[in-house]
Amino acid sequence: MRETRLWSLHILAIPIIAVLLGMHFAIMHYAPVFYGMSVEEARAFDTMIERGKSVAQFVIYILLLIAGLYHGLYGLRGILRELPLTPALVKVVDIGILIFGLLIFALGAYVTWWTFNAPLGG
Amino acid sequence: MTDTKQITFRVRRFDPDADSAPHWDSYILNVPDGMTVLEALHQIKAEKEPTLAWRSSCRMGVCGSCGMFINDFPMLACQTQILHFGTDVVTVAPLPNYPNVKDLVPNLEPLIEKHAAIKPFIIHTNSKEVDEPTGEYIQTPEEREAFSQFTYCIKCGLCLAACPTVATDPLFLGPQALAQAYRYTADNRDCGLKERLEEIDAFHGPYQCHMAGACSQACPKGVDPAFGIQLLKRTLVLDSLGFGKKPKHVAKVMPLAEVVKQIEEFAPPPRTVK
Repeated sequence: MRETRLWSLHILAIPIIAVLLGMHFAIMHYAPVFYGMSVEEARAFDTMIERGKSVAQFVIYILLLIAGLYHGLYGLRGILRELPLTPALVKVVDIGILIFGLLIFALGAYVTWWTFNAPLGG
Repeated sequence: MTDTKQITFRVRRFDPDADSAPHWDSYILNVPDGMTVLEALHQIKAEKEPTLAWRSSCRMGVCGSCGMFINDFPMLACQTQILHFGTDVVTVAPLPNYPNVKDLVPNLEPLIEKHAAIKPFIIHTNSKEVDEPTGEYIQTPEEREAFSQFTYCIKCGLCLAACPTVATDPLFLGPQALAQAYRYTADNRDCGLKERLEEIDAFHGPYQCHMAGACSQACPKGVDPAFGIQLLKRTLVLDSLGFGKKPKHVAKVMPLAEVVKQIEEFAPPPRTVK
């Protein structure tokens, strides 16, 4: 893929993260302001499971996971590839980061999916 | 007689045939107002150290040969007046980010190789028109203005010496080559973006720029390569989205007859004396 496309996605991830992280903060940390409940209540396991059943919540967290992982790992790739690496090591870095990203995405997506399908009451 | 000030020059010396590592030598000169670092080096060579080596030519900031690291900043020695520093000691070293050939002579091969890699010439899709031109390529003043400042680059290499990214990533194309890539890509007569993509749309291309702006600060000709890199990014992003400049398969030319007519129109009056 052209570097321009990779970089454009990296930049595009910034406003997505800003908006979705803002929503995450509103839900989790500013619950007293937006939802009229204490922070402890908002963070309680049952509340999270209940909230996790919302399709909107599921979509928001999957998108946040994708955008955050992509932005962070592209940045990490940039730092690592600035090191004086051999062409073979460059491939290791690129493929390694891709595999790592996919694994973390799979884990995050599984947790979000599990929450979406979890029976009420844990 | 002009007033002079005694200045100590600390010059980094290195002779690959004799030295295992660079060392510093000091020379004291009486410096009059207006004396440049290049003139001081000439005086040192003439009076104190005949083996001192550096590269210079035009003495007027045009050829770009005398780039040096003067008081920890990349500058042209011929354009740098010593007393403007206001210090008693002036250090002179070879440009950083380049291999050192001898004393103050850097090996500018990385600069030239990177410059050549971006194909710094106008590329036409109509090769027949290049070989057998039928007219002139038209360029309006506005079209020229789009890249005008980047044509002032004298390839002195100061921008690469100043660049913190080149210091850590020698493969980074650097401000000179990237600004020149923009210069040619932005030229309305050029159709070569696709041919340059392999070099400039790569990891070590414009996206590796950390936007320190040191290149623009160092440029002795007032070019802003950091801005050129940002413009190149915009060009590449627009191109990747399909909004880029479309390659012209037929060169935009003015028929030669028209050109001749215009030349005749503005021609000087016929000679009165043979």
